Amino acid sequence: MAEKEIELKIMRQDPETDKGPRYENYKVPYVDGMVVLDAVRYVQEHTDPTLAIRWNCKAAKCGSCSAEINGMPKLMCKTRVDTIGDKITVSPMAAFPLIKDLVTDVSKNWEITRKIPMFTPKENMEKPWRINPKDVEKSKEFKKCIECGLCMDVCHVVREHYTPYFGPMHIVKAASWDMHPLDGVDRSKYLNKEGGLGYCNITKCCTEVCPEHIHITDNAIIPEKERAVDLQYDPIAMLIKGIRKKEKVMK
Amino acid sequence: MAFSTKEENDSKFQKITRFPRELGELRFWSFVLVTVLAIYLMYVFALTEPVQGLTDPFYSPTILVLPLVAGFRATCYAYRKDYHRHLFSHPIGCSVENFNKEGEVNFPGEKVGRPYSGETGIFRLENLHRYFWYAAVAILPFFYYDLYLAMAYRGEFTLGVLLLILNTLWVTLYTFSCHFFRHLAGGNVDCYSCPVNKKSYRRTIFNRISKLNGHHEMFAWISLASFFLVDLYIRGVAAGLPINILLFRL
Repeated sequence: MAEKEIELKIMRQDPETDKGPRYENYKVPYVDGMVVLDAVRYVQEHTDPTLAIRWNCKAAKCGSCSAEINGMPKLMCKTRVDTIGDKITVSPMAAFPLIKDLVTDVSKNWEITRKIPMFTPKENMEKPWRINPKDVEKSKEFKKCIECGLCMDVCHVVREHYTPYFGPMHIVKAASWDMHPLDGVDRSKYLNKEGGLGYCNITKCCTEVCPEHIHITDNAIIPEKERAVDLQYDPIAMLIKGIRKKEKVMK
Repeated sequence: MAFSTKEENDSKFQKITRFPRELGELRFWSFVLVTVLAIYLMYVFALTEPVQGLTDPFYSPTILVLPLVAGFRATCYAYRKDYHRHLFSHPIGCSVENFNKEGEVNFPGEKVGRPYSGETGIFRLENLHRYFWYAAVAILPFFYYDLYLAMAYRGEFTLGVLLLILNTLWVTLYTFSCHFFRHLAGGNVDCYSCPVNKKSYRRTIFNRISKLNGHHEMFAWISLASFFLVDLYIRGVAAGLPINILLFRL
């Protein structure tokens, strides 16, 4: 009996030498329990060693092997072949500039991260800093982010349009600091003005693709939007905040 | 490339999308047409008087404050997701496409999306959601008053009363699972246990509302569907159909 095979279609392009991208077909023997990364690595090891891929831990924790698998941004190491069938198309993340084949340049992410005001402790806190574990629950969820960039790739604002929007991954980063119980900075106004938070239209695709199941939209983006409304659009909230600030100064 | 520089933003994007182009599209106007027609029919075929004690939820006192109720739903985060996807196609779904219209590979392509302003142009009005929420909370007691009227009408618990109870329940759950209420109740607090200005009770409220909030989209659609179904039911009763079945006497 012939062994079962997978039909793998991989997008190939070396921007330095190729005019445009093309899909190439490969046949890979199926092994029970294999993931897409196994199949792609088989091609690299046995069929075409010039295929460029990026991967590291193969345990869905390093966030290196992000790709578009059958039209959905996924981690190659977390996507089992038996869940998607034997005809598989793998492309690099289109939201990022291509380096070669399945490898993209994600360095822009670090540039954006550097722009967001870092964790800044509240003034006049007694040392040592003490935190009730229950208080860090909100910001702890965002610490699960493995920075794989899948949310950035699926976000239609980042992918399709020219906007100043930082992207969901960075809103999560900012929210993790904003909701930290000892942080003294409110980044929502900055995110709205400089980070293009208003361009997000809450379509929740980022939440759908997050391999760490972070509730990106409900727990990071919407709360940041509401905080920005407090500071920029809601006259009553602005008045209350203004009075409180004055009271603090008078004390 | 996907990330754009400030120059690109200035030259290619910002100037042309202050007024969203999708508002000029047929899909949007067909939706507006259906909505206007529905509102017109509600006024023409009004059911302003209670039928066997049952008050149509559309007319109690919603019809008087329809813009507020419509505004509450239109600016709600749950509906925002749906109409941005299905009415304006930004985006239609979450799958990503690497082919252009001719079926050629288009990666890493030019940005081919239509001009887009998200919630920065006219949709900035969505930030007024909280004011509509205040109005919705003010309207909510009328639903409970209608329940009282329905039960007190003949001292009977009928199928109509049961449907009104369910309708009121869905509307209440929808209103109090709102993202803004979650923010107001405790989402805007970062340190609940800090020695100064302790707010541990707000953490409890926040956690409970967060659980409700997880089902906000479901409540949004069920409560809307319930409005229409109860309206149809009461119109059926008004037309003389024997559907207001007696369940038990109070």
